[in-house]
Amino acid sequence: METAKPAMLELQEIHKSFGSVDVLKGISARIAKGELLTFVGPSGCGKTTLLRIVGGFTSATSGRVVLDGEDISNLPPNMRNTKMVFQSYALFPHMTVAKNIGFGLKLQKWSQKKIDARVEELLALVHLEGLGGRSIDRLSGGQQQRVALARALALEPKVLLLDEPLSNLDANLRVVMREEIRNIQERLQVTTIFVTHDQYEAMSISDRLLVLHQGVIQQIGSPVDIYERPANEFIAGFVGYVNFLEGRVDSVQNGSDSVWISTEFGRVELDHHQKDIAKGDSVLMVIRPETVTLSPWNGDEGQNSFHGTVQSQMYAGNLAKYTVKFGQKEMVIDHYNPMGSRKYGKNEKVKVTIPRNVHVLKRKAD
Amino acid sequence: MADLVLGSIVRKNWWYRLRAFINANLINLFAGGLFALLAVFLLYPIVSVLVFSLWGDDGFTFDFYAEFFQYEFYYWSFLNTLILGLATMVILLIVGFCFAYLTTRGPLWIRKPLKMIALLPLAAPPYIFSISLITLFGKNGMINNFLQLNFNIYSWTGVIAAQVLAFLPLSFMMIENVLNAVNPSLEESASDMGASEFRIMRSITIPLAAPGLLKAALLVFVMTIAEFGNPAILGGRTPFLAPDTYLMITGEADFNMASVLSVVLIAPCILIFILHNFVLAGKGYTTIVGKPTATELRPIDPAIKVPFLILCISVAILVLLSFGVIVFGSFVKIVGVDNTFVIDHMLNTQSNLAIWNSFKVSLGAGLFGAVVGTLLAYVIMRGKFPGRHVMEMLALSGFALPGTVIGVGYIIAFNRPPFLLTGTIWIIILNCVFRFLAVGVEAGISKLHQISVEIEEASADLGADFLTVFFKVILPIMFSAFVAGFIYTFMTTMMSLSSVIFLVAPGFDLASVYIFLTAQLGELGVASATTIKVIAIVVVSMALLKVVAKKTGLDVQKQGV
Repeated sequence: METAKPAMLELQEIHKSFGSVDVLKGISARIAKGELLTFVGPSGCGKTTLLRIVGGFTSATSGRVVLDGEDISNLPPNMRNTKMVFQSYALFPHMTVAKNIGFGLKLQKWSQKKIDARVEELLALVHLEGLGGRSIDRLSGGQQQRVALARALALEPKVLLLDEPLSNLDANLRVVMREEIRNIQERLQVTTIFVTHDQYEAMSISDRLLVLHQGVIQQIGSPVDIYERPANEFIAGFVGYVNFLEGRVDSVQNGSDSVWISTEFGRVELDHHQKDIAKGDSVLMVIRPETVTLSPWNGDEGQNSFHGTVQSQMYAGNLAKYTVKFGQKEMVIDHYNPMGSRKYGKNEKVKVTIPRNVHVLKRKAD
Repeated sequence: MADLVLGSIVRKNWWYRLRAFINANLINLFAGGLFALLAVFLLYPIVSVLVFSLWGDDGFTFDFYAEFFQYEFYYWSFLNTLILGLATMVILLIVGFCFAYLTTRGPLWIRKPLKMIALLPLAAPPYIFSISLITLFGKNGMINNFLQLNFNIYSWTGVIAAQVLAFLPLSFMMIENVLNAVNPSLEESASDMGASEFRIMRSITIPLAAPGLLKAALLVFVMTIAEFGNPAILGGRTPFLAPDTYLMITGEADFNMASVLSVVLIAPCILIFILHNFVLAGKGYTTIVGKPTATELRPIDPAIKVPFLILCISVAILVLLSFGVIVFGSFVKIVGVDNTFVIDHMLNTQSNLAIWNSFKVSLGAGLFGAVVGTLLAYVIMRGKFPGRHVMEMLALSGFALPGTVIGVGYIIAFNRPPFLLTGTIWIIILNCVFRFLAVGVEAGISKLHQISVEIEEASADLGADFLTVFFKVILPIMFSAFVAGFIYTFMTTMMSLSSVIFLVAPGFDLASVYIFLTAQLGELGVASATTIKVIAIVVVSMALLKVVAKKTGLDVQKQGV
């Protein structure tokens, strides 16, 4: 481990195929100690399979799983120090809450006294004090979730695995449990992998996201990276709405740190913060709806501005949403905090201004 | 993966290695063992029957089948059986429909009592109705005497009546399910558009229920043609397949002809099984999502209500009367002739001995059956070997095949080495285990359906090896299915007659066999008294089953059908 922050878990070139179907096509990633990394992607992207490979429930076709410097690729689940919280919680219905939490400890031949003490500690951790004697079917969904979490944490795993843990909860509880899981994770500094198909859940809970699509990592990065600096079209469209605008780089002015891009509606001047952009590149601008400014049409197309017609509008209180049409193209524009400012009606002519800090994707040469 | 794990423990002691081996292979070891059991105790007897119907002293031959179709006595026994099945089926379709219509759409006050009476025969062996019909309508029958009738119960009428009463619960339960699934709002909207009650029934209810009704009818048909007791006791000189098979063995020791009769009896069963599973599979109208909502009660047109009520109440009275005379007959000297109270029949030593024997056999069959059934369910659901579906089909086939056929198969298969079991109690126990396996297996499968595989993965994740998972998690979770399988097998073994009658050794009487023999001889008092005891045991078992079902949320009633 040459790097400063040692990796707790390392995935090396993991491939997995079921018959002729390649589910994972060479996944490599490092997860630092204490980090919460989320595997996220649309259903069928292979995220659960990848998690199960880490947990030992599925074996990879090739590649290695290295836990704290030790190759665990060939160990069965009961011999790895990774613990999983299952989507269905998988609580033992014939045992009490305390018995469920203490199950792993008992297998480790802990004394009953020590088990009891540890279980109490965990019950307090997940705010279930006094419920140790309850049977599982007398718990609410949120409580079951807490028991499953406590049970997985009982053995102080090196990596905690969470398989869509919030998918069985209703919307309000999801938010509560999400914050609580994050809270406990940060307090215990336990390295955690969280699997979800919900982008917003992933954005709000993670240190970093690993976005999978069609068995390939699309991007690994912090929530800020993913939203503000998406690596490709898929990532850009994955979180939040996005307007794409095609263009070609006209000139790069190193002196003024500006990039000039010509589009079908005119020239745009952007900050030159992406050094890999060169003159002649074919690019795609990632324009988030809330970054665009709308103003009444005054007959003058200023810098980075185009004129269009309001196609439809929707007022939702905290924001006003407009669809503006330019020629054949449409752009969605969100005007947050519209209270007191000018509203635009259908068919009204408007001026649309694009900010200088728009992120640009380089298109592959055809 | 296994190589590496095993590689690291080669140097450990043999116990560790054995444990590792079992951990890796237990489920396959079970699968192998269970396949062997099913092959020996289900497949082998059935195949033996087939072979014996085609294999004479001079090798392969069709002579026995030729003989069957030459002699009136044989082929009429086949035709009679079909006629009996058809007649019972048609009558039960009508009676069952009337009962179910009233319990699902009739006036509230009558729903519960009618339902209870329609299900009452479940608590007794089917041949109870032969005894009660003889008591009521026999030569010295109470009603015959009272009304000065000269009615002969040993006739077609008698057999059909007994069959109808015996299989009323089956027909009723299936049709009630079908009618429950018809969305009441469809009927209401028809009524709203001005359709009469009769019109609604004809053009909405019955067409929607038709596929379900057909399935119910086919099942009733199969069950009635396989029934042994009623035609044997009441059939008189009319030949029927199931009793004739028995006569072939006990009277003439003609195993080849008995096999031919068995194959002939299976043929319609298999035909209907295919029809049921392939032609009718998926047929049916799903008009509702979830349970029908409690809608306003629609008053039934008297033109329908009155005839339905008359029919159902007469049948209900007959059912109650049948149970009543069994109780009455147990406590009087000679029912209908000398009605003085006696306790002798209840205290009859032979009867009590037979009950005790049945109890032992049922206990054995229940325990063994529950173990085999639970393991089968687990292996079928969680195993990863080819042939799981074959295994499931085999396990369920015992339930579908006529008891006489399996009885003949056991006699042929196990009266010579390598499996010499004839005359022992074991042959009876094994027979019942494998005949009634279906319920234990189904209960286990439905339990495992409720439980996510993740539970087993979670235990492994927490550090348990397979043996620990199996004993600490799987078995405890499946315990309710085990208990359900146990009680059900116990109960059915207690009542079962058609198969075990071939297998009991002389001098060793089971309750069912004893009832059958005494009823045939006209000793109605002892027969009734023994039946009462069987019913008592069955009722207690059912109550226990209900408690288990309620406590664990296991849907046993569905599997009981």
